[in-house]
Amino acid sequence: MARFIARRLVQAVLVILAATFLIFLATFALGDPFASSGEKAVPPDIAEANREKFGLDKPLPVQYLLYVGNMLRGDFGIDFDQHRPVSQLLEAAVPNTVRLAIVAIIIDVLIGVIAGVIAAVKRYSFWDVLVTVIATLAIGIPVFVIGVVLVANVSGWGPFPSVPRSFTVQVPWYQEVLLPAFTLAIIDAAFIARLMRGSMLEVLRADYIRTARAKGLSERRVIGKHAMRNSMIPVVTYVGVSLGVLFGGAIITETIFQYNGVGYLLSRAIVNSNAPIIIAVVVFSVVAYVLISMIVDILYAFLDPRIRLG
Amino acid sequence: MRRSRAALSAIALSAVVGMVLTGCSQKSNTGSNGGSQASVGFPETQDLPPVAGKPGGTFRLGITEPTAIDPYNAQESEGILVNKALFTGLVNVKPNGDVYDGVASKWEPNADCTAWTFTLKPGQTFSNGEPVDSAAFKRGWERTSAKDSASDVAYHLNEIKGFDEMQAGTATTLSGVDATDPASLKVALSKPDCEFNLRTAAPPLAPVPTVAGAADNKAYNDQPIGNGPFKMDGPWQHDRGIKLVRNDTFGAGPKANLDAVEITITPADTGIQAEYDGFNNGQFDWARVPTPLLSQARSAQEPKNQWISKKTAGINYLLVSVTTKPLDTADARKAISMAIDRAAITQGIFQGSQVPADAFIPASFSKVYQPGVCEACTYNVDEAKSLAQKAGLTPGTEVNFQFNTGGGHEEWTAAVKQQLETNLGLKVTYSGVPFRDLLKNEQQPGATGLFRAGWTADYPTAGNFLTPLLSTAAIGAATPQDVAVGDNRGRYSNPKFDDLLAQAAATQDEAKRDDLYKQAEKIAIGDDLALIPLFARQQFRMANTAMFGNVRMDFWENPTLSEITLK
Repeated sequence: MARFIARRLVQAVLVILAATFLIFLATFALGDPFASSGEKAVPPDIAEANREKFGLDKPLPVQYLLYVGNMLRGDFGIDFDQHRPVSQLLEAAVPNTVRLAIVAIIIDVLIGVIAGVIAAVKRYSFWDVLVTVIATLAIGIPVFVIGVVLVANVSGWGPFPSVPRSFTVQVPWYQEVLLPAFTLAIIDAAFIARLMRGSMLEVLRADYIRTARAKGLSERRVIGKHAMRNSMIPVVTYVGVSLGVLFGGAIITETIFQYNGVGYLLSRAIVNSNAPIIIAVVVFSVVAYVLISMIVDILYAFLDPRIRLG
Repeated sequence: MRRSRAALSAIALSAVVGMVLTGCSQKSNTGSNGGSQASVGFPETQDLPPVAGKPGGTFRLGITEPTAIDPYNAQESEGILVNKALFTGLVNVKPNGDVYDGVASKWEPNADCTAWTFTLKPGQTFSNGEPVDSAAFKRGWERTSAKDSASDVAYHLNEIKGFDEMQAGTATTLSGVDATDPASLKVALSKPDCEFNLRTAAPPLAPVPTVAGAADNKAYNDQPIGNGPFKMDGPWQHDRGIKLVRNDTFGAGPKANLDAVEITITPADTGIQAEYDGFNNGQFDWARVPTPLLSQARSAQEPKNQWISKKTAGINYLLVSVTTKPLDTADARKAISMAIDRAAITQGIFQGSQVPADAFIPASFSKVYQPGVCEACTYNVDEAKSLAQKAGLTPGTEVNFQFNTGGGHEEWTAAVKQQLETNLGLKVTYSGVPFRDLLKNEQQPGATGLFRAGWTADYPTAGNFLTPLLSTAAIGAATPQDVAVGDNRGRYSNPKFDDLLAQAAATQDEAKRDDLYKQAEKIAIGDDLALIPLFARQQFRMANTAMFGNVRMDFWENPTLSEITLK
């Protein structure tokens, strides 16, 4: 087991290093951010002073090594526009994204599992068809459509705060997070419903379910205890991956709802070509994704010894 | 020029929608002739009658995150909005560009306008109680021009003696600024400028208190202490908002009426849409309008007197490389200009939100504006063809035409390209590149052809359109083989034009100076057509005039916060 964890850790570090290098290369290709200020040419000496200040006068490999060195000490540099420490920007955005991700996952697991179980148990019934049709539709609708429709029609009503709203309007986080979380959850819930239905049907055909029924266990116990637990495995895997993705920030949803998470931070940084923020957010997303999928892998290995051996 | 990043991206967004909406109308419009130019565009609105001020009220609006609100680096319209509420410079500017007193009660140049004396109003203080004396101005100007500040907007101070030394880092004080008498500020310039007083309205020339410290003082950057009609209520909450409250110690003019101004930060790429949505859901009292929604917004708001439409001090034009073939003759440039159907583009693509230009100096400078000075700005295909013939711009000639991507310029530049190809048979090499590449390409010694460009005024003077864009000194290249680092990247150079501008800069009499500007524009645009004016800038706002009075658009296209009052 220890060897397995060690191997996964080494892989994770390599992935993180490779990803930072690629994103560093990509933003480097954006060119000199100080040559122009909006639509005005910046005087050469001022552009030079800025380049010096941001270390852009050094060759790329040196810049990269400096960056990685600083990053390991938790220093992501300062942003080009307002010269704020990028780590502070991340610190402010990460908790919001984590809240959003967790609430979204809770909503989609609840909806997805219940819908999937109903569809599987009442196979080919009206409810099964309904779940399948809705799930297929939900998977087909792009997330921005759902988001824009919710902003236009639901926000500003009942517990859902207006978008946009004056920044002095105080909204508790659990109200602010509702609509974006629901938007994110719809597609995942549809996936989970279909996954759950499939694996549940498979499990219901298994021998031990027949045995359980033969022993005279109530249908509730058979489904709720024996069948459901075993058909959750693919769902757990999917949720793990999904959580990793969500922790990295939901760019479209957060931007539509003007929700201050890392996805919104990234979308604004891209618009302004603010490379230090872009790099830091991408690094954070990669780290979040790699770590969470690693944890899921390890948990999985605990659950199923065959994975450890393979 | 100020940058308006948000405006540009919003046009980009709306262009996507616009493309769908105007796909058909564009075609039917390209056949129309230039004769209908007068009717193109939305009419300007009149200001509502002024209302007597009374204290109270909170005015709310959205802006995109400014680069800075601290004077040393406040630059785009959004940063200027906050900065002008927090600081008052030596002079102030009215919405129409007229100058009136700020901290200075009077100002006087010497005979040749190389030295200025500003007399300060007595008893002025910052909101923390520090005095606003001549030293406060010197402090602020040195803070902006110091090398270590790396300000993007230090160029506002470049006429002052000692500026170059500050920028080079060889001096720590601006030698041209004398603050020995607290009640008067004496400024020595390195060349005559009879309009230097206008520059002192620019944010980088604001006074700062001693607590400001150096330009990298984070605490002050986020919560500047100033001498304006408003002061900060807590620090700038980045990406969230800025709250201002009335400064009751304000002494440079009438106190503000509003209790507070709540400025919410909107997303950079969809800021205009957010402002529009926020106005409609009752969160904001002032908003811009996405281009595709202009007609709709106007018909909804104009009957309620909540619609503001003004021509402002800006222009969109084509920068032309005038020293290289094939556009090195005035005839060739006029042929290009006359082959462009501006009216069709403004109607088909801009939905009437921009006006075909017939001069380079915009109509907002009413005393200098010369309608029709750009004779070649009229659409006339036959004349264009015969001029092209004369200039050797024969069918099949290759003309380079570049624009910057991401600014919403794709559609109208494509229309210009198509018109040039259809009307003159030219082979237009058309490409979109990122803005910084466009800049680089314009700067190169061998640059040829046309480049998209835009300009908004920093100071309310016509000279701000001519000197930085067309004077020989503004090329910024010692020889034709050098890179042009100034704003005159078309490399237009005409001694007669330069001479008129030099005379204007040294002429104290306003009417005479305006006349010199007119003559200069006649030469550079009317005769030489050194650049091709396309569309005059016009701006539109929705304003909550049901609740607030005296809501107008100022010179920087922002609401007149210091005058707004509850009704």
